Amino acid sequence: MAVDRDVVITGIGILSPIGIGKDSYWEGLAQGRTGFKKISLFDTSGFNVHIAGEIDFDPVQFLGKKGLRDLDRSIKLVNSAAKLALDDSRLEITEANSPRMGVAIGTTFGSLHSISQFDRTGLIEGPRSVNPSHFPNTVINSPASQISIRFNIKGFNTTISTGFCASLDAVSYAADFIKLNRADAVLAGGIEELCEETFLGFHTLGCLSGAYGSEPISCPFDARRNGIILSEGAAVLVMEEKAHAAQRGATILAQIAGYANSFDPFADRRFNPEGAGLKSAICTALKEASLVPRDIDYICSCANSTKELDKMETQVIKDVFGEYAYQAPVSSIKSMIGESYSASGALSLAAAVGVIKNGFIPPTVNYKEKDPECGLDYVPNKSREKRVNKVLVTSADPYGQNTAVVIGRHE
Amino acid sequence: MNRRVVITGLGVISSIGIGWKEFWENLQQGKSGITPISSVDTSNHFTHLGGEIKNFKPEEFIEKGRASFLSRATQLAFAATKLAVADAKLNISKNNNICVCLGTTNGPTQAIEHINDLIALHNEKEINSQSICKIPTNSAPAFLSTELRLCNSNFIISTACAAGNYAIGYGYDQIVLGKSDIAIVGGSDPFIRFAFTGFNQFSAVAPEKCQPFDKNRKGMQVAEGAGILVLESLENALKRNAPIYAEILGYGLSCDAFHMTTSTVEGIAACMRKALKEADITIDKVDYISAHGTGTPTNDKNECAAIKAVFGPRYKSIPVSSIKSMLGHTMGAASAIETITCALVVKNDIIPPTINFETPDPECDIDCVPNQARRHAVNIALNNSYAFGGNNACLVMKKW
Repeated sequence: MAVDRDVVITGIGILSPIGIGKDSYWEGLAQGRTGFKKISLFDTSGFNVHIAGEIDFDPVQFLGKKGLRDLDRSIKLVNSAAKLALDDSRLEITEANSPRMGVAIGTTFGSLHSISQFDRTGLIEGPRSVNPSHFPNTVINSPASQISIRFNIKGFNTTISTGFCASLDAVSYAADFIKLNRADAVLAGGIEELCEETFLGFHTLGCLSGAYGSEPISCPFDARRNGIILSEGAAVLVMEEKAHAAQRGATILAQIAGYANSFDPFADRRFNPEGAGLKSAICTALKEASLVPRDIDYICSCANSTKELDKMETQVIKDVFGEYAYQAPVSSIKSMIGESYSASGALSLAAAVGVIKNGFIPPTVNYKEKDPECGLDYVPNKSREKRVNKVLVTSADPYGQNTAVVIGRHE
Repeated sequence: MNRRVVITGLGVISSIGIGWKEFWENLQQGKSGITPISSVDTSNHFTHLGGEIKNFKPEEFIEKGRASFLSRATQLAFAATKLAVADAKLNISKNNNICVCLGTTNGPTQAIEHINDLIALHNEKEINSQSICKIPTNSAPAFLSTELRLCNSNFIISTACAAGNYAIGYGYDQIVLGKSDIAIVGGSDPFIRFAFTGFNQFSAVAPEKCQPFDKNRKGMQVAEGAGILVLESLENALKRNAPIYAEILGYGLSCDAFHMTTSTVEGIAACMRKALKEADITIDKVDYISAHGTGTPTNDKNECAAIKAVFGPRYKSIPVSSIKSMLGHTMGAASAIETITCALVVKNDIIPPTINFETPDPECDIDCVPNQARRHAVNIALNNSYAFGGNNACLVMKKW
């Protein structure tokens, strides 16, 4: 098994609340654009919160009219992202190369709405009233599998459901498959749709900013932070073996330098303030990349405007980076795009690629009041021009999963 | 770099046995675990039988007060994990480079069903957070690593009915890549109400019995279960003198890229070929195939055609059996339980039967080991699994 195969990123497809397509997305991040608005997908009158990062999109624009009728929103979003990614990388899937192409998608609640609605129809109207053509949408792998079906990708197709870490885990899974010589290119990323069920869940747990009546705000690291703004998103990256990309003359956007997953057994549904798991993931990823903390020019943080996570990540950065922690820019794009759960890691990774390509650090917007427990350079409110060679991207889940990915400039 | 991977512990929670010994005994006897469904009201359904585990008592594995915080998927997975860890005689505190990976079709969906009951039937406005906390799919593997205090990677793969094999493959890869020394892997799914509804509406459920490869087969039967294996680098297993059931030589994945619910012969054949290639095994070396064998007309026909395509003239001489004839389809757990079965097959040289076989089907003219277990030397075993979405996974095991 060959493990000395390098993995690069050659294409990006994004549907986010602040932009569709990588250029619009990167421009939005550089401008500090926010993407929150009144929810139109479902009735929010029973909730205290009425805004979210809902995406305006027309799947027909990306996928044509055919074959969309029975697909749920997650499937349409992620297929649109896959189409954008394939176009961006100019990777053509043929019968000949298809067995060497794969799909790895992170999603946890991508099918939750389809599951819940299918079950509810059976419950209220009787089992014989369900629409059988909606049944295939109830498997969690339906968004990923529909990518294979639409774009004829036959190598493998895997769905990973590790909560907040799912799409970075999908990226690491894809990289393993390329390194193990099982694939030459993989569409890797994440998807979460905005739906009533997910919203109810986060609302009930008190995780949403504004759940207790205040004006919702996403302000990571700020002393006023009081919860997330929920959003949806789809991000698909074309990950490719370097020689394969070079051979077909692809534009290489960035290189995967290292990645790691670590579990924190002291989390148990609330983040371990010590952040042992995240610390271990970051250190292992750096080691795998043969880098030291000082090599990292920017940290694309998973902080989502909750008390616990933002504080924990700050602590972890201080512990891992030492004195350098105060010089390294750290920002959370969730201040602009919200918390898209299992899609968030891939959206962050796509942002990190833009940072390297376009030479800017995205800001943490809505930053006003300093929290004494969060004392790093969070790039408040305005993006910054800077040449960046190496970016660390993180994700952490309150159940204990932690993932870190390091990407670098392709020279 | 080429680290060898062996299976050193088995844990099963199934309708025909809790713990691998009872399970294996009943597999050899050809015992059926199919009974009238009690967890779901089936009065408005076309069929009424399924593979529920009627005698599973979570409190035998988890403190009573804590079990109620866990979904049934987690309870089943944890119970099977405890059995597998004990079976492997694994001292966790001495071996902590242990990753966890589970496979599931829908994860802790009973929590969603419960919330629907509250909202739709009882018009409840407030849902308690305890129910919500069970919904994230990653809560199941997280509970395993939390209880066992494991810090290595923690994954859950949701590739429907082949998920167990994907999860085992992930653990195998982590060991091969040197990222873990030990992997606790497998699959778990509860009896899923809406899946029972969906398969019934697809007319895919057999009303009386599951009859894989039979000319008159009428479909699958929805079931539940958990299968967990301890995988280990050969070096680690030898060092601690662990019991070794079998070696995993490799696995193959493929995707039909055709249809959400109809498999293709080419996709299944490609998967077996990839697995054999990665395992460096030629077709003449394969002694047993554990079939996906759901008992639906299309699945079994396509699987037999694929076996024929891969193995050529030899195909009739390889025993191919489906334990789903006894257990029903345990969804994300199915291929993990079947991998456990393969480990026991290569260890004991006994092949479990395909029960309920009555009438040969010319389109399924493989040797399905009808109705009676068979003593047969098995050096190499293949475990096939397929899923909604055209996701295929095939695992290759060798006698140790």
